[in-house]
Amino acid sequence: MKYAIIMLVALGVVAASFFAASTLTVNSLTNPNSVFDTFEDVDGTWLYSDKIGAAAATQVERARVAINGPLGLSATEAVYFIALHDSVGEPLRSHCTYRVTGQPIDTRWWSLTLYDSKTQHYAPNAENRSSWNSVSVPRSDAGDWVINVAPTPQPAAWLPSQDRPDQAFDLMLRVYNPSEATRAILPNLDLPIVERVSC
Amino acid sequence: MLNRAFLYLIGVAILSAASFMVTRSVVINQAPMTVMTTIADRIASGAGGWNACFHNRAYGPRLESARRANPDSIISSMAYDLSEGPVRVAGETWPRYWSISLYQQNSDNFFVMNDLEMASSSFEFILALDGQDTTPFEGVPIISPTEKGIMLIRRFAAHAGDMDGIIANQDALTCAPASPLPG
Repeated sequence: MKYAIIMLVALGVVAASFFAASTLTVNSLTNPNSVFDTFEDVDGTWLYSDKIGAAAATQVERARVAINGPLGLSATEAVYFIALHDSVGEPLRSHCTYRVTGQPIDTRWWSLTLYDSKTQHYAPNAENRSSWNSVSVPRSDAGDWVINVAPTPQPAAWLPSQDRPDQAFDLMLRVYNPSEATRAILPNLDLPIVERVSC
Repeated sequence: MLNRAFLYLIGVAILSAASFMVTRSVVINQAPMTVMTTIADRIASGAGGWNACFHNRAYGPRLESARRANPDSIISSMAYDLSEGPVRVAGETWPRYWSISLYQQNSDNFFVMNDLEMASSSFEFILALDGQDTTPFEGVPIISPTEKGIMLIRRFAAHAGDMDGIIANQDALTCAPASPLPG
């Protein structure tokens, strides 16, 4: 009788621990706020990882990428940067207006894409636009470019954030086939500056 | 009496910690495979089966894409299963940017090659398992570490005007179980 009770208690403990561990682990892997915890902070705005799709990734890094942005290219082919904050460190919010100013990047092509940080999908908008790329973005003679991120129409290159106010969003910069010179200084490129214009 | 209760308590604590750690580790290790299986099933259902191409024909972002999909990269995909033999992928590259990437069951990108790394704009690959005989087939062998996996072909669409060319490029792509050379 005594041993039966001990066994039952032991089983109960294992079961409780199993359910607690499953729930906590799944929550931690799927929590949008912790997806980029293992990324390197380049300049306060942009985060960087060269472990996407890599055999060198830890199991936690691999699981987070698989769940939150699967099938990325390894760093030999493309490198990824993500901005969750503006140039003064404030989180990017859907009802604010931002000016993203960029220098030419020595790479085959790049794209800048806006995602709703909660759904990790694009933010639906009337323009059906969630990105600009190195060919489509208007440039100055020197090659500089400006992308205006806002919920309402903007002059020149408008990247619509969503209509719903106060939603977190992020910007992902993908750099395909970076040149040797670019690779040599990774991740310290002249990355775009994300300034808040108004809120 | 107190000693025995204390020992029980220690035992319960160790058991609970061990069970927690093992479960956590299993969940973390299984997560990428679960995601890969879900995506592979979705690709296979879109393509009408395994070892067949599935094309995204639309320009612009779509909610049915995978999380954080890149709308500027127009994708053809294949869920592959090499258990019954090698699979052949052949077609033409796309000049703005083209790459073929292969993902094993744990989601690692074990192979990638782009158009600039190819000898010509026509390509022919034979996807096989280590030990499978690829000599009767035409094409450059690629060895997959796992029986099942996912192939992606990316093409850069700079704007909507690229889509006609990309759709023609998709139509020229073949993904199918490899057949030996005739004769």
